[in-house]
Amino acid sequence: MSAPSSGRLWRVAVLSPPLIWTFVFMFIPYSILFVYSFWEQVYPTFQPAFQFGNYLQIITDPQYFNVLSRTLKIALFVSLGAMLVAFPYAYFLVFKVKSAALRQVLYMAVVAPLWVSYLLRAYTWKTILGTTGILNSFLMSIGVLSEPSSVFLYNQTAMIVTLIYVFIPFMVMPIYAVLEKIPKSLTEASNDLGVGRLRTFFLVTLPLSIPGIVAGFTMTFCLTFGDFIAPFLVGGPDGLMVANVIASQFGAALNWPLGAALALVMMLIVLTIVTISDRFEQLGKGKFA
Amino acid sequence: MNKKSIFYGVSLAALCTFSMASSALSGELNILTWEGYADTSVIEPFEAATGCKVSATYVGSNDDFAPKLAAGGGVFDIVTPSIDTTKSLIDAGFVQPIDISKIEAWDDLYEKFTSAEGLHKDGKVYGVPYAWGAIPFMYLKDKFPTPPTSISVLWDPELKGRVSLWDDKSALYVAARLNGDMNIYNLTDEQIAAAQAKLSEQRPNIRKYWATAGELVDLYKSGEVWISNTWGGYQSSLLAAEGIDVVEFIPEEGAEGWMDSNMIVAGTPNEECAYQFLNMASSAEGQAGVFKVNGYSSTNPVAARTFMTPEEYSALHQDDPGYMDSLLLWTNLGARLPTYTNAWNAVKSQ
Repeated sequence: MSAPSSGRLWRVAVLSPPLIWTFVFMFIPYSILFVYSFWEQVYPTFQPAFQFGNYLQIITDPQYFNVLSRTLKIALFVSLGAMLVAFPYAYFLVFKVKSAALRQVLYMAVVAPLWVSYLLRAYTWKTILGTTGILNSFLMSIGVLSEPSSVFLYNQTAMIVTLIYVFIPFMVMPIYAVLEKIPKSLTEASNDLGVGRLRTFFLVTLPLSIPGIVAGFTMTFCLTFGDFIAPFLVGGPDGLMVANVIASQFGAALNWPLGAALALVMMLIVLTIVTISDRFEQLGKGKFA
Repeated sequence: MNKKSIFYGVSLAALCTFSMASSALSGELNILTWEGYADTSVIEPFEAATGCKVSATYVGSNDDFAPKLAAGGGVFDIVTPSIDTTKSLIDAGFVQPIDISKIEAWDDLYEKFTSAEGLHKDGKVYGVPYAWGAIPFMYLKDKFPTPPTSISVLWDPELKGRVSLWDDKSALYVAARLNGDMNIYNLTDEQIAAAQAKLSEQRPNIRKYWATAGELVDLYKSGEVWISNTWGGYQSSLLAAEGIDVVEFIPEEGAEGWMDSNMIVAGTPNEECAYQFLNMASSAEGQAGVFKVNGYSSTNPVAARTFMTPEEYSALHQDDPGYMDSLLLWTNLGARLPTYTNAWNAVKSQ
């Protein structure tokens, strides 16, 4: 066997698994979803058709706009909140903690919850935020409240708090990774040139960490956007998110065509956001790197 | 030992194994059903007696049956949907006709249930009634000095953030009755819109829409909720076991009734085991099981006398056809299902 052909074989062997994976688990399911989205619901189930009624319904019925904008809002708050907590934490770990062992421990403290089931972690928040929960007991014991308050659980705030907690590792990890890679020499040079610490942070450290922030933001946003457990566990009567509506179309309503159309609309929104954030990341690179 | 005797020994052993296998059915039954309907106290004796191994998967709502069967795969042999869902499964061809001559207890079951429209199509029977009950309302006794009698209490501004309703299209049934629309399974678009508006109006009172039996129990236990609808007999007994004093009541606007039936999934390879299971479920053993585990009423009044005390028998309305008739027995919504589901989603998406 000649060398070039064996090289080609080798390339095929290396590339096939990911290609097959993409084809079987991405391309085929999405194509099926796409086809379904033009079908129509006919009692008792649904049947093949080619019509745009499902998409039309998503546009004309205000409930879908409501749910989509609510989901966007919650995903935005969760991503922002996670960023505001994660950045200082990662910064502290990389630049302020001198002991490598301690840094390792603090880093693991954020990542370790990922090993625990998401459901379990969300449930913990129920026991913290509930009317007879830890937060209420604490506030009553220090005299802030005279009787337990019900404002902490079963509303959108509770969902945002829970989701920030659940997805924060996905924000800390990429930010930590970029901060760690920033050479000390850059900040030192900035200081040597007489630039203050605050300006050094805004002119050197922050711009260099943008790719990590964008990556974390995108991941947290997408994960929140597709979440349907938090509304179920800690959300109140106004907690429904788009993934819940999709689940109910595939389940309760047995309207897979409408569910498929909704899923595609949702995917389109997420893809748009990923594309924008990708541009943003490129922009950051072009300007600062 | 020579070769010949080894040969005989092996043949004999093989023969024994074979005959043992054929004396029992040694099939495997996969059941898609409700929590408490496949309790070990019933399943273990059944497995020992028939050799049919049972594995159960649980649903959270009637809406889980059709999607699971529509996904195909031939996993399930028996399903236990309620009477509002049976017809869709029959019409979709997901279940097969049942030969009632093979069901020993058939004639003992309430005629109201065996003749229910939702179990019949083209002169064939598709389900064996298993258990029934009501969807009453339930409240914490110490929070209501005057016992509530009407659904309107769920809209009382005094109960802000203290109410829970089942996260199900049945919330529309409740609101429609408050509006005076008693044709809850056949509402017009206007009536559905009115019910939807009523439910929107109620939202400040809602703490959480409950999705599972366990969740409702937790909501009462942790002091979040004072009043809700409930699966009659089930959650109230779970709460009573926790020492929480709740009272069930049928409001003056009436209550929905439900009845669950066992159905055989079309094309099951384990038909013989399936019939054995259906027979067991409608016999005294099976009926005693669902009564003791879930506290639901029995569909077999003859058998029920053998395991219920006379007090229990009347408490569960086994001797009260008037009660059964007063319940608005769940009915298949047919082509109207998506309209109801969308209205319910619209309430939650506001």
